[in-house]
Formats: sequence, structure tokens, C-alpha cells
Amino acid sequence: MDEGDEDYVVYGTPIEREEETSARKRRAIADAGQLRALPPWKQEVRDEEGRRRFHGAFTGGFSAGYYNTAGSKEGWTPQTFTSSRKNRADVKQQSIYNFLDEDDIKDMGGRALETSMQFDTFGFTAAELARKEAEKEQEKRPSAIPGPVPDEIVRPAANSIGIKLLMKMGWRQGRSIKDTHADSLYESRREARKAFLAFSRDKDGPELAEIESSRSESEKYPERSDDIFGGTKSTPVYVLNPKQDLHGLGYDPFKHAPEFRDRKRSRESRDKDRGNNKTGKYAPGFGIGALEELDIEDEDIYASGFDFEQMEVEEVEPTKMIGDSWHKLVDRKRGSMLSFKVASNSDYVLERFRPPVIPADFESRHKFPTTLESTNKFPELPPPEVPPPEDNNLRLLIEGSAAMVARCGKSIEDLYKEKSKTNQLFLFLSGGEGHNYYERKLWEQKQKRGDLGRQNNTKSMKSSDEKMNAENRGKVLGERPLDRSSKASSLSVDVKEVIHLQSNLGDTFIKPVGLSESLKPFKYDPAKQERFEQFLREKYHGGLRAAQPFITNIMSETDRARERLDFEAAAEAIEKGTWSKEKETDPLSILKDLPFINDQRFVSSTEVEKHGVSKDEQKVIHPKREEFEWRPSPILCKRFDLIDPFMGKLPPVQRPRSRMDSLIFMTETIKSSKSEEAIASTRDSILLSHSESKETEKQLITQETDAEPIAADVQRPVDLYKAIFSDDSDDDDADEGNSGHSTDPVKTNEGANMTLNRLVAGDFLESLGKELGLEVPTDKPGPPDKPPNSILVEAASKGDINSSSVHEKLTSQHEEFDRPMEEKHKDNISKSADNVVTNLSINQNEESKPHSRHQRSRSRTPDSDSSDDYRDKKRKTHSRRRRSRSPSTDSSSDRHRSKRNRSKATHRKRGTTDTDSSSDHLYRDRSKSEGKSRKRSRHHKHRRKDGHKNR
Amino acid sequence: MAASGAEVLPGRREGGGGEAAVLRGTRGRCWRSRSKAASCLSIPSRRDNAKLVSCGGDRQLFYWDVSSGRVIRKFRGHDSEVNSVKFNEYNSVVVSAGYDRSVRAFDCRSQSAEPIQIVDSFQDSVMSVILTKTEIIAGSVDGTVRTFDIRMGREVVDNLGHPVNCISLSNDGNCILAGCLDSTLRLLDRSTGELLQEYKGHTCKSFKMDCCLTNTDAHVVSGSEDGFIFFWDLVDASVVSSFRAHSSVVTSVSYHPKDACMLTSSVDGTVRVWKQ
Repeated sequence: MDEGDEDYVVYGTPIEREEETSARKRRAIADAGQLRALPPWKQEVRDEEGRRRFHGAFTGGFSAGYYNTAGSKEGWTPQTFTSSRKNRADVKQQSIYNFLDEDDIKDMGGRALETSMQFDTFGFTAAELARKEAEKEQEKRPSAIPGPVPDEIVRPAANSIGIKLLMKMGWRQGRSIKDTHADSLYESRREARKAFLAFSRDKDGPELAEIESSRSESEKYPERSDDIFGGTKSTPVYVLNPKQDLHGLGYDPFKHAPEFRDRKRSRESRDKDRGNNKTGKYAPGFGIGALEELDIEDEDIYASGFDFEQMEVEEVEPTKMIGDSWHKLVDRKRGSMLSFKVASNSDYVLERFRPPVIPADFESRHKFPTTLESTNKFPELPPPEVPPPEDNNLRLLIEGSAAMVARCGKSIEDLYKEKSKTNQLFLFLSGGEGHNYYERKLWEQKQKRGDLGRQNNTKSMKSSDEKMNAENRGKVLGERPLDRSSKASSLSVDVKEVIHLQSNLGDTFIKPVGLSESLKPFKYDPAKQERFEQFLREKYHGGLRAAQPFITNIMSETDRARERLDFEAAAEAIEKGTWSKEKETDPLSILKDLPFINDQRFVSSTEVEKHGVSKDEQKVIHPKREEFEWRPSPILCKRFDLIDPFMGKLPPVQRPRSRMDSLIFMTETIKSSKSEEAIASTRDSILLSHSESKETEKQLITQETDAEPIAADVQRPVDLYKAIFSDDSDDDDADEGNSGHSTDPVKTNEGANMTLNRLVAGDFLESLGKELGLEVPTDKPGPPDKPPNSILVEAASKGDINSSSVHEKLTSQHEEFDRPMEEKHKDNISKSADNVVTNLSINQNEESKPHSRHQRSRSRTPDSDSSDDYRDKKRKTHSRRRRSRSPSTDSSSDRHRSKRNRSKATHRKRGTTDTDSSSDHLYRDRSKSEGKSRKRSRHHKHRRKDGHKNR
Repeated sequence: MAASGAEVLPGRREGGGGEAAVLRGTRGRCWRSRSKAASCLSIPSRRDNAKLVSCGGDRQLFYWDVSSGRVIRKFRGHDSEVNSVKFNEYNSVVVSAGYDRSVRAFDCRSQSAEPIQIVDSFQDSVMSVILTKTEIIAGSVDGTVRTFDIRMGREVVDNLGHPVNCISLSNDGNCILAGCLDSTLRLLDRSTGELLQEYKGHTCKSFKMDCCLTNTDAHVVSGSEDGFIFFWDLVDASVVSSFRAHSSVVTSVSYHPKDACMLTSSVDGTVRVWKQ
């Protein structure tokens, strides 16, 4: 628990123990004497035990109160009791200010009791106060310069020293300056009167005497009173009437309302009167006789407030209110300020512009050309659709003439009509056979010509005619039409050039696409030719088709489809330049020639390939374009600051680095298999069988580890090869090649070992059984549901194997795998023969390995062998086991064969060095990179593992 | 230099003075490098003109420091003579085209002299290579112009049907001008691969010659084997101007990317600067 105590965290101060109090008490007692000596406000309040006692936060904690009382330093006096019985009248008006501190009152904006700056002997402060009041009022009024700044800048001057001196001398505001003698006299008289009045107020009795005395006084100083009267008229302080209204300068509000001006004048005069006899109020009290002059002394000094100067702050102009001093400002009536005068004639002439002249032909309403046109066009109803006359010639004639008329106008029709009088053929014009059909055709043609005309118009007309759609906008902006449309529109060389130059070189002008005369496939049918051109145009323009009501009207769906086919064929033919005269007559013959045209309409994505195919057939136009996948190396992407497009995908099949590798990878790509065919004859059988065995084992493993994705198959031979036969350098090479490898090496190793074990175990059991003379049923090497037979055959056919040894080996393996499923009563002899071949083939592999190693790694150091991993060890043990049970004849033949092969291989190598430079280079490449790759091998292994983990 | 001609690419950021400096420097380098290279075929410089790379018949690329005149690095890997070499946008990769039917990319930033990418889908000698920000475009004698789009991972093959001697990119990057050995220049649309225009009139049958577009893309320029220089109008392919510039085969024509300034070099051993 003690340990637990240490874990507690203590906050705050601990409460002192009781035993300590005694000491403190003693100290407190000792201090008590000193405390008394201190002034009371320095004394600290302690209880009898000498502890400071807390009074609570609200009252201020320890230091609240005054010596533990509710008093203060100044003392505490309770409110004196006043009986409400006598003093019933003054009911105490309680307001919030009664309960607030001075500070609080100040905060609330209330007026606290303050000491004034000056000792207000003469009521000067009150005047000042009034002035301040006026200023405040000024603030509320709208001023030219907003904000409080002007008031701060333009400050009413404080009393100058002169005024101060004067005031010391007895002068006060509103008085004229007189000699001090008179003043003093006046003062004394005034004092006396005051005293008298005060006296008379108390006692009603002696008022008469007082009046007497006062009268006598006034009689005593008759001349002075005159003086005084004059002295009271000190120069008044005029407040130049500030502009309170919102009128402009010099604006006379009464200009058009003179009656109000009169009223104002009367008011002014009234004010003037008031100003003239502005001598203050007179005390209504007694003691002033009726005969007494109105004097300053008679003012009611007890009346409320003081008599301060009138402030003329009214809107009304104080015109001739006061004497001469005002004269300068009086001009106000004429609307001028001090030094500004209203000019009699102003130079300023407002400049006015004439309104624009509206052209005579201007119409105020906007006209929409297209709708107008349509309204022009469509009122005349189309003539009913009429079946063409049976006579084909007549039909053609009608159509042709209709087109002609539509194109050239009415005059040509008249001409034809003229002709028709002589020629029977043209009877249809004037109502003969086929007239209806002619009318119909004519209408169509007119429609069409209108359409075409609109299309062939100049650009400006076009822009005004057509609404702005995406296509037009694109043209204006110089965008290129979509690839497909432009491709399809490549009719002939010149048209194509026009298209591309205008689209690609940024030209915005559009040349009307016209076909040269020679490229009119439907010359015999102008209408059709028109439609064809229309079709081409559409094809070129791309985008949405314009609605063509006439087509839907005149042609059935099938007709249209057929015609469209014709058009496309023709366009295609033109594009290819294979259009010829004889085909002109029958457009359908083109269709027969070009059977894929139909598809072309629907398949656009394969267009490129189709072009290629057709060009191969016809030996025509270059350039042709093909696309392949190409895989940039990650480092290249990085250096180009691009994201690897194949990031995270399986690495591509690496190009074989040496002939050795190429042998192994041959079956993987078509290209390489072809090349393998080419050199298969010169290849030594061992290597082939080697690769084949690899192949088979690979297949086995894919069967066993069934869950593996198929894509991994591509990688498999490499890993397998490494797993089984590779030494360090092989490992490195493969690693270097497939640095981005995602296959699991351990897994494949295990798989390979499993396969090997199984094979070897089968062999071993068989051979053991043979030796013992027993029939031993072999293990099932693969899953019984899928016989490896087919795979092996497949592999064999893929590899295009010619050599007999491979066949032997293959058959042996077939039989070996098939045995458990097919039959168990095969005789011993055949079995042993099989066995021999099997062992042979496996040992061939064994032999070929060091051979190949020797062949490839000429510069290898021997110590690299020591770094063989456990796989190699395992392999060695396998081989040891195999060797131990294989008969000596096998090994000898083996050796023979391998020797022969080696010599053959070296010979071939020597032979090919000068001819096959690229492969030679590959060799060099390999040997060069080998040293480095070995260095990096460990690193690569790590990376590969990491890659696997990430996966 | 006299053997095969030189190509001088004026620096993009440099004014007139800078070009002369580069030109001088290039010649100096050429003399020096002749001891190593059998011939010097192409000498582009970096955008900042700080480094340049040269290639020639000795199967390797020389990466030069312009200021010091020293070889910083040699890139090996080509199996035969190197026809063309270019820097990429960031001056981090050198891409070379060689007689060994391959295009190889070398990393300037690493110490390795091994190529980081080998493209060997060509069937014949690769004569010319140009780089954009994201693409490697190479023209080959097998008649193809191959565009390797690094960003898309696609290889686009435009088969022109005639051996491609030189390719040049228009300044807007939309067209490729390919000089073919049938004395024709062909203007290809890059996006669709279609032939836009053909320019004829000069002779180009056996030499590796250059062609280019002017700085405004208004004209097409090419030399001729008779020492003439031809100007075509880009759109209507008419010969706007042709004049005798050199006494012998004009091997290289290079236009300043911004100004109206042109460099031509010839087998006669002269390099001429043309200015307005």
C-alpha cells in the first residue's frame, strides 16, 4: 500500500495539521501587538487561531471588508433616519443610478458627477454646456463631410487668455467692456439688491422699504443705468447659419412660392423684434416698481437657467437681423456666399449630340431569315407523290429536266415547253403523260436546290442562315472534325488535301467540297448525283444529319438504304481511284466488288485494319497506319516524367538475351516460334529436349497448382528452369530480365521439387521393383481427371520438334503418365525400356546443364558455385540418387551423346558468329552483363520478394 | 565533319549570339571527336546549351560538356553506326537511332552507359529520331515512321512505302514532315496518319539529308543533292524559292525555332547561317 501511496497525485495545498496550529497561534498572538500598530487597512483579518479566513469570492476573498467589517477606510456610517411622516412629499425616485458605482454609471454612458474644469462663478460653464449641446446637435445634422472628423478638427476655441483675464477682472460673457469703476459700482449694487431680495423674501413686512431703497438707488445713478443698458448689448456671437437643408447652394425654396416667403418674412420680423427687445425675462416678483426702467438688474435671477445668446440655427435666413456686422453676409438673399456671386451669364453650355440618323430602310423588327425562307417555301404544298412512269427513259428525262429546271429557273422550262411543241418527248411539261411526276420531281429538286444553295452559300450567308451548332462552331474555331468523318471523307487526293489542310493547318475557311466532273458516278441521274454529293458532304461534315424531309417523302426505306449503299460504294471507289466508266453504268457491280463495304458502315473501330487489308490486296496508297502495344521501360517513363502506362501490370515477355534463353522461350510468342522453325534443324536435340522437358514439367505444375492464373504461365518456364536447373548465373540473368517479377519463387521451387520428387520416386520405385522382380504400381503423378497427354502433345506440336530423341522422351513420358490410368499389365521388358529412355532423357537434362553453363558463362569464376542454394543441393541429391540407380550403360551413352552435342554446339556457334551479328551481340551483351548481374543478384531477389509481398 | 556533314541545332533559349557560340563550339567538338568517331552525324544540344551529345560511326554516343569541351560520358550499346540522337524535354534522356535497326534511350543522370530502353521493331536502319514530351518518333529506311507513345504505351506505325531519310516535327506538333529517299517530302498528320501533302522538286536519293519547317510553319525547307535549298509553301506545295546555297550536297537544314534564321551544312565543308 505504501507503494500505492506514492502513486497518488496530490493537487492543491494540503490542509495543515492541528499540531501545527499551536505554533501558529503563538505567532499570531505575538503579531497581534504589531497588528494594532498598523493602520487598519493594512491589518489582516485573522481568526483567533491566527488563520486567515476566507470570506468568499463574491466579497473579494481574504481582503474583503475592512478589518473584517462591512466598513471602509473612510468609515462606515449608516444612513440617517428620516421620518417620512414630516417629509412625506419627496418620494424618493429610485433609479438604477442609485445602485450603481461611478464606474458603472460611466460605462452605461450616464452622467456622473464630475469636477468641472473651471470654477463656475459666472455661469460660464452653463454657456459652455449649451455650446456643447449645440455641437452635439450639429453632429446629428447631416454634414458635407461625413464622420466625426470635422468636429474634432474644427473645435470651438477655448477661452483665450484675454477672456480669462477679463473674467478675472470681473467681466463676464455677454457684457461689454467698461471701466472697472462703473463695473464695481454695478457689482456692489447688484449684490446689495440680491441680499435685499433675499431678505424681503423671508419677511413680507419690510418690502416697501426695500422698494424705496432700490428706487432711490436707481435715482441715484440715473446716467449709469444708461451706460449699463448700453453695456449689456455686447457683440452677439452669431452662428453663421449652417446649412441644414438638403438644398443645393443658392437654391431658393421659395422661388415659386412667394406667399411662403412672405410668411417667412413675417416670422423673421417677429424674430427680429424678439431679438431687439431681448433683454431677458423679468422677474414677476415684487420690489420692482412700475416706473422702474427695465434694466439688467431686473432680470429674474431666480428664473430657470441663464440668459445666453440666441442661436440662429433656423433655416430661415436672418437677413437684417442685427446691425452692421451682418451686412457682409446678408447677400444671402441673392443666393451667394461670402465671395461667390451668381454669374449673370454662364459659359457652360451643355453639349448635346444629335440622335443617330436611322436609315430609311431600317425596320424595327428583327427578321429571321430561315424561318422567313421556310415560310416562303412551305406554303406551297408538295405535289402528291406519284409513281414514276413505267418507261425508264421517260422517267430519266423527267427527272433530268426537273433537275435542270430547278437549277436554272423557270426560263428553261419555258424553253422546254417550246421544244415540247415539236418534240413529243417533252409533252409531260405541258400536262402530258408523267406531268404529275414531273411536278413532283420539280418540287423535290427545288427543295433540294434550296438546301444546297443554302449550303453552298458564302460563309457569311451561311452563318446568318444556319443556326450555330457544334459543327459550325468547330469550323469557326478551326477545330478538326472527328477522325472518322475526316477519314471517311477522303475521297480523292485533292479533296483530302483540302480537308486536311484546312483542318490541320488551322485554316478556318471552308471550301465547298465539289467533285470534279470525272468523279461523278451518277452522271446519268442528276438527282441521284445531287444526293450523292449531298451524301459526301454529310460524310465529310460529320455530326448529326440534317433532317431531309424530301427524301423520306419520295423514297421508301429500302430504296434509301440501297441508294446509300450505292453511295458508299461509289465513295469508296472514288477514294481508291478505281472508279471506271464501265462501273458507272451499274453501281451495284461495285457492291459485288467490295463486299466489306456493308460492314464498314457499322464497324468503325476496325476500320484501320480493314484499310490495311484492302491496301495489301490492291497495292495502293501509303501511308497506312498500324498500332501495336509498346511497353516503355519504367525508368524511361520516369525520365520523361510520365506515369508508366503499364504500372502494376505484368511485365512483358522479355526478349531473349542469348540463344540459350531463346531456346527456352521459343514457344511463347508466335514470332519466336517462327524463328525457332527456321533454326530448328540446326539446333541440337539436347537443348530441345531440355526445353521440352521444361515444358512438360511446367504443364504438370500448372495442373497441380491449379489455382494459378493463366497469365503466369508465360513466366513459368523461367522460374521452373531456375528452380530446377539454374545455378547462380542463370538465376541472376533471369532475375535481371524479370526484375519486376511477381511470381513466387518459393512456390515454384516447391512445385518443381514436388514434380521432380514424384517423377524420381516413380522411377525409383519402378527400378526398384524391376531389380526385385516385383510389379510395383506407380503413384499417380497428376490428377486423373485431366490427362497430361493432350498437354504434352500440344507442347510437342507447339515446339515443332523433329528430333527423334524428343519423340522418344515424349513417348516415354506419355506412357509413364498414362500407365496408372490405362493399364497395369504391361510387360516388364517394355517398361524397363521405357525406363531407360526416361532416365536417359532426364540425364540428358543433367548433362546439358553444365554444358550450357559452360557455354554461356565463359568468364565465370568457380567460387560462384559455392553460393548454390538449397535448391541446387536438392537437385544434386536427386541426381545422385538417379545416378546411383541408373545403369552404367545409360550414363555412358549419355556421355557420348552429350559430347557430340557439345561439339556440335560449339561448331555451330563458331559458324554463326560472323553471319548472325545480332545474336552475336546478344552473347556479348550477356557476357558483359553477367558480372554485374551477379553482383546485383541478391538485391534482385529481395526485390522480387518484396514485389510478391506487395502483390 | 567534312565526310558526312553536321547538324547544328540552335539553342531554343539563346539569341543570335548564342547560336554562333554553339556553332563554333560544335565545330570545335567535331574536330576533337573525330579522333574517336569515324564520322559525326548529328550533334543536338540541350535546351540550355550546356551539354551536347554527338553520335557517329563508332557506335557510341559522346556526351559533351560544352563549356569545358570534355566528354562527360560515352553511351555504348549500338551495334553499328548511330544516325541520329536527340535530347528529351528534360535533358535527362538521350535517344539515339542507329544503323542497327534500333532506337535506344540512354539515361544521362545515371552513371550507367547501358541503354534504359531498346526499341528494335524496325526492319531497317533508323535514320532519324525526334522526341516530344511524351513520344519518341523515329523514321526508318524500312519506310515507316514509328511513334512510340510512352504515356499510352502504344506504338503507331505509319508506313510511307518509301525509305524515310529524315523526319521533322512541325512547330505546332501536329504534323510530321518526312523526307523520303524518292526525292519527296511528305507531310503526315500525326493524329490520323494521313498524308497531307507531298513536296517535290529537289533531289534526295542517296544522302542522309535533313528537312524542316520554318519557324512559322508556313514553309517547308529542304536541301538538295545539287546544293540547292528549296522552299515550299506548306499548303499548296508549290516551290516558293530555291537557290544555290552550297557547292555540293546540302546535308542538313535547320531552322531556328523562333527567329527567321537558318543553318545549312554541306558536304563541301561549309556551314552557312542564313538570316533575314
